[in-house]
Amino acid sequence: MGNKQTIFTPQQLDAYQDCTFFTRKEILRLYQRYRDLAPQLVPLDYTSKPDVKLPYQLIGSMPELKDNPFRQRIAEVFSEDGEGNMTLDDFLDMFSVLSEMAPRDLKAYYAFKIYDFNNDDFICKSDLENTLTKLTRSELTEDEVRMVSEKVLDEADLDNDGRLSLEDFQHMIVRAPDFLSTFHIRI
Amino acid sequence: MELTGLNRTDSATAGQGYYSAGQSLRLRRLSSRVSNQNATPHFDWGSSREGGEDGNEEEPQNVRELPMPFGLRKAVRQVQQMRIPVASRRMRQSRALKRFSAEAKNALALVTLWRRAIHQIGGHFGGGVQSYFVFLRFLVVLNFLSFLLIAAFVLIPGIVFHSLDLSSSVPQLPNSTNITGKEECMVYDPNPGALTVFYTYFLDLLSGTGFMEYSYMFYGYYNNTLVVANGFSYNIPLAYLLTASFYFIFCFICIIVRMGGVARVAVTTGGGAARSYSMMVFTGWDYGLQGDRATKLKKNNIRYQLQVDLEEERIKLKTQSQTLLQTVGLYSLRAFLNLVVIGLIIGAFFGITLATRYSQETDKTQNGILDLLLEYLPSIVITASNFVVPFLCDQIALLEKHSPSTTIILALLRAVFLRLVSLGVLLATLWLNITCNSKPDECIPCGYNYGQYQCWETRVGQEMYRLALFDFLTTIAVLILVEFPRRMVVDNCSWKLIKWVGRQEFLVPPNVLGLVYAQTVVWTGTLFCPLLPLVNTIKLIIIFYCKKVTLFHNCRPATKTFRSTSSNIVFFLVLMFGWILATTVLIYSIAELHPSFGCGPFRFSSTMWSTIPNSFQGLSNTTQEFLRYVGSQAFSIPLFIFSCVLLCYVAAVASVYGKSVALLRTQLQLEGRDKQFLVKQIEELTQKLGIPKHDRDPMVLSHGGAPWEQQQDGHS
Repeated sequence: MGNKQTIFTPQQLDAYQDCTFFTRKEILRLYQRYRDLAPQLVPLDYTSKPDVKLPYQLIGSMPELKDNPFRQRIAEVFSEDGEGNMTLDDFLDMFSVLSEMAPRDLKAYYAFKIYDFNNDDFICKSDLENTLTKLTRSELTEDEVRMVSEKVLDEADLDNDGRLSLEDFQHMIVRAPDFLSTFHIRI
Repeated sequence: MELTGLNRTDSATAGQGYYSAGQSLRLRRLSSRVSNQNATPHFDWGSSREGGEDGNEEEPQNVRELPMPFGLRKAVRQVQQMRIPVASRRMRQSRALKRFSAEAKNALALVTLWRRAIHQIGGHFGGGVQSYFVFLRFLVVLNFLSFLLIAAFVLIPGIVFHSLDLSSSVPQLPNSTNITGKEECMVYDPNPGALTVFYTYFLDLLSGTGFMEYSYMFYGYYNNTLVVANGFSYNIPLAYLLTASFYFIFCFICIIVRMGGVARVAVTTGGGAARSYSMMVFTGWDYGLQGDRATKLKKNNIRYQLQVDLEEERIKLKTQSQTLLQTVGLYSLRAFLNLVVIGLIIGAFFGITLATRYSQETDKTQNGILDLLLEYLPSIVITASNFVVPFLCDQIALLEKHSPSTTIILALLRAVFLRLVSLGVLLATLWLNITCNSKPDECIPCGYNYGQYQCWETRVGQEMYRLALFDFLTTIAVLILVEFPRRMVVDNCSWKLIKWVGRQEFLVPPNVLGLVYAQTVVWTGTLFCPLLPLVNTIKLIIIFYCKKVTLFHNCRPATKTFRSTSSNIVFFLVLMFGWILATTVLIYSIAELHPSFGCGPFRFSSTMWSTIPNSFQGLSNTTQEFLRYVGSQAFSIPLFIFSCVLLCYVAAVASVYGKSVALLRTQLQLEGRDKQFLVKQIEELTQKLGIPKHDRDPMVLSHGGAPWEQQQDGHS
């Protein structure tokens, strides 16, 4: 368990430890999970900083993400290219933010990005309708979707511009007692 | 290039929602469109860190919390590291310390009991069910530590002194007792006969009589030895009393500490709005859920919740337009139903009293199953009432037509009241028997009802032991006889009705109440049955594994969301209520009741409490003076005044924070309106001043922004 691993240089491991909420052991374990998705693509030696990206299909097939209705958005938000293809860095980043040690503000920032389907830094009505559809298996009627979206905007939109900005979202999250425990993937 | 440079600084100030007058509307629109995931909203690259080492020590922590892509984060970290050319020794030490504490926390997490199992449960069934198992684990640890405490100070000295059979032990006789006329009260013969049939050992194990009665299990076995040898003295009665008190204080502190953590979360989130749409939409999905079935159920759950909430809104609007007559009718119906519920509960109490009286007063001459049933009669009645009465109350609650959240809280309160007060009723009946309330003559010779109870403390201890054991047996029986067959029927039978009833659902409140009830029984019984915490630890461990098995095999995820955060604090409050009940019992037994003459460590004292004043004389003079001062008015009144002042201060600070939060919120709303007003003004001004067309960026126009922009397009 000591310093015998040859996958990363000590500097790389230090950087990972400082930039994520994981310990050394967890980082190595997550690397193994990443590698298990595609053993032929992921090299055993990261000291030369290889540029390896796993396609979204592999990431989305992980048991932790497979049944999550927002898995595509999660992968898009955390991936460098915005398409869902993730490098090891992105992978670690994703699970670090979704772990239980990440603070509320950081999680709220990324949750906002996940629910912002059209990437315009605001959650507008269409984003809300998208979210609702994904949440309820499209079984709410159009009327109900519209009513719920209106109610959400009523409650959360503080500056009255018809859409939620990051500040509105964060203000609402502060009042939510369950947010930290639900926005959490155990890996 | 220039634009992107400006863009960067714009985004840096974008968080404040304020734009300097020099930046035109166009730039603002552009920045909001162009800013993508790679924007760095809140990090100021150009700042120079002052404050030297102190400021830098926090930075490794802060890098993780920056909301930016990973590559940028690593760059930031490198920049920070480059800014500190020589890593000072203090910096290195602090870093090493941080790493060490992280590793230590990791190691500690490994030692945590059942970490993996609870992790798994949370993944499949969500936070509500997980909170039950976390509560169970807390109780196991609490009971085990209490057992260690009792073993160290009471059990092991007891064993040592018994085995050494110290002849130098002098039974401590307080000077004031007169025991000449009380020889008859000192007879205590717990072992009935020499030769018993084998199966009676098993029956004795279940009922706490026979070979178990005169053993370390119960109060009666301990002697009131005071050992003085080679400058080492150990006073068993004092140790017993102080251990019991300290055990209660220890449990109280553990509960308060746990509750504090939970309460802090509840208070910071403002108690949580009951059913807020935005919270349901954005925090409703549990990202930890895995498995097709669980996610489908969760989606159905959310849909159901939203539909129910919309329906509740419609009903609320309708009831607001109700006539006065209908409201009065509803309230009188509710009052009547509450009376019915109270009647049921009092009926249950009455049944318990009768059962206890009958069980205590009948002679148990024949050995065998009938005897066992007779001894278990109070437990059976209590358990039966705990099943039947809440069920009836639930049916009644359907008629009361409260909102769903109120119904849940009412059901919980009623169940809590029933369980804990029925335990109190049982104890009160026992106490009345012991102090012979109905027949005062029987108590005159010995000060307690000697005819029925040669050693009343052991009897009470036995009753508590039986309650604990019966509770355990019922849980296991329900598991085996109800839950497994139910699953087999549901899975194999294809009738529509059976499918509609479906598999068992793991309901958290009744299960938690069961745990609280068992813990209260242990607390009340420990004074008379010192090994009860050990029994409870073993019982809880077995229950953990059984519940886990039944959860994974027989249960389906809950259809209604269970708010774990706000209910956690309710569970701890109920536990506190049980603790208060147990403390009342303890204080009453110690201070008021006369200990038995024939058994136990307090056999020659007038009350259990009197050991303390007696041993007070043995302390040194300075300690006596100090303790007298602490107990006197000169100390306690200033202490009381000081704590009142502290309380007032804390309350004042809390209210000031509340007011400032409200103020900030209105300020936020006003600023939003200001922004809109200013935007409109700028539009009007640009229109008036006639800004030429080519300055209006075509990309912005095609973005299809606000209506007034379209007007401008058509203008020229």
